[in-house]
Amino acid sequence: MTIAMVMTSCHDIPEYQDDPEGNFEALWTMIDQHYCFLDEKGVDWDDVHKRYAEKINPVMTREELFNVCAEMLNELRDGHTNLSSPWQTSYYRQWWSDYPQNYDARVIEQYYFNFNYRQVTGVKYGILPRGNIGYMGYSSFANPIGEGNLDAILSYLATCDGLIIDIRDNGGGNMDMVDRIAGRFITERITAGYMVHKTGPGRNDFSKPFEYYIYPAEQGRMFWTKPVVVLTNRSTFSAANNFVSVMQYLPQVSIVGATTGGGSGMPFSSELPCGWAVRFSSCSVLDAKGNITEFGIQPSPGCEVDLDLAEALNGRDTMLDFAIDVLTR
Amino acid sequence: MSHYPIMSFLKLFCAGLLISVSSLMASAQLDEGRLVQSTWMIGVGSSHLADTYLSPLKYSGWSLGLAYDRTQVSRWSERWVTHLKAGVDLDRTLNPVGNAVMWAAQLQVSWGMIRKWEMPAYGINFGVGPAIRLEGGCLYNARNSNNPASAKATATIDLQAFVSKSVRLRGRFVNIRYQPTLPVIGAFFSPKYDELYYELYLGNHSGLVHPAWWGNRFKLDNLVTADIWLGSTALRLGYECSVMTSKVSNLTTRMITHRFVVGITLNWLALRPSENSISPL
Repeated sequence: MTIAMVMTSCHDIPEYQDDPEGNFEALWTMIDQHYCFLDEKGVDWDDVHKRYAEKINPVMTREELFNVCAEMLNELRDGHTNLSSPWQTSYYRQWWSDYPQNYDARVIEQYYFNFNYRQVTGVKYGILPRGNIGYMGYSSFANPIGEGNLDAILSYLATCDGLIIDIRDNGGGNMDMVDRIAGRFITERITAGYMVHKTGPGRNDFSKPFEYYIYPAEQGRMFWTKPVVVLTNRSTFSAANNFVSVMQYLPQVSIVGATTGGGSGMPFSSELPCGWAVRFSSCSVLDAKGNITEFGIQPSPGCEVDLDLAEALNGRDTMLDFAIDVLTR
Repeated sequence: MSHYPIMSFLKLFCAGLLISVSSLMASAQLDEGRLVQSTWMIGVGSSHLADTYLSPLKYSGWSLGLAYDRTQVSRWSERWVTHLKAGVDLDRTLNPVGNAVMWAAQLQVSWGMIRKWEMPAYGINFGVGPAIRLEGGCLYNARNSNNPASAKATATIDLQAFVSKSVRLRGRFVNIRYQPTLPVIGAFFSPKYDELYYELYLGNHSGLVHPAWWGNRFKLDNLVTADIWLGSTALRLGYECSVMTSKVSNLTTRMITHRFVVGITLNWLALRPSENSISPL
């Protein structure tokens, strides 16, 4: 038992007190040792400690402590980084709130489809009234799409000359859905990107990029080889951003709209001594050319467009119209 | 004699393994007359878990274990017994403030041999021998998103031992025994520091298996029992303590359980048990 106690002490786990200072230090150290974008974002984390530690005092309330910690996390400018207490989850909103919204689902549902669109597992689809173009709006990668659903959608749109995949306001979800949908637009294995994770607590402890692939859907499934537009806005985030990073390099695909929101860091979960949950990016997903997409992916050259709000009031989605033009010109 | 103690140990273990396997392959009729002792145990107690892949906090809660233990006198010598152990453990723990749950579930099976000695003057038996053990399971933290679980898989060569003494208590034989088990060398699974299982799923399988030695993975199981014999059946009461600590890829795991155990022990073929035939051990 003595040996066991000695070995246990050798495998030490740092402990922090459940007081303002202990929780603050635990949070700062967690980000210091695990967060994967400190360098890319030019964040001087030591300076952050200096500035925010001054705001910590032993008699501050939990709410005051939460606000300081949340403010400190906002220095990371990361939509995947949150602090969750029983009364609030902190959230860095500027990654989308500083940009135009560029999307109004009602305009499309009412003025382009007169509410006569098909809907299955989070996908709204139909044939647009102009240009014989198929439309597939996918609001969240958290809504799983089955292979049968994709067969049905692509079969229904098979007579169209082009396809618009509208992932504006798609905040991400399941990365498997990226593989599943992209697998309908390729005929052979492609490099989807690279994954890099932290290998230790040092700020430069990163793994070698691991190349991963996407494979075509199995034989007998419906494929789409005609032109495609992926329609994006700033709220295209996380898994949706990853979908764009994959689709952008396919020859028949154009990215139309606004720069995506990024969110290429796979979030890791942890917690503080007081029980507050913490989520942060710890594993970076690079695109097929090894580029970081945390800051968003720009539209294809000449395909950047915003929603004209005045036209939207008249029932026109200028971004969708632009996408139709790209496919019909 | 090799200069390398580990190699010598492995050679000894393999030789014993070969002898035992060949004996098991002999005809069943040779089993006649060999004493077999089987025990079914249930243990309830406390658990203390920590796994820095899931959380930097230490969790505490309850632990439940079911175990089967079988010893059998070997066919080549009464001094050697084969020892089979299998068990399943389930732990449920809370973080210090009680707002997050971490579960642990593990299966384990081990098989080995024990060379026993007797000290008749003191009524003490003791023994020591090697065993091979396989363990698998996971720790699960329900509120984590991309890192909800930490899988555990281990294969080790263990050193197991016992010391026992039979006494009479109110006219009944009571066999008191202490059994420590110490994994010596092996291999175990661990992802890297912040490597997500999603990356493993995508095919990155490099560097997941690590050699296990006392420096990076230490485990010690202790079992103290009293078998109160009622004919060829005994009521087992005891205490079990297991300590496991590992550190690899800058990830630390710690699992400590304390359990009180209750069990039933049966002697097979022991039609008229005497003090000397109470147990293969």
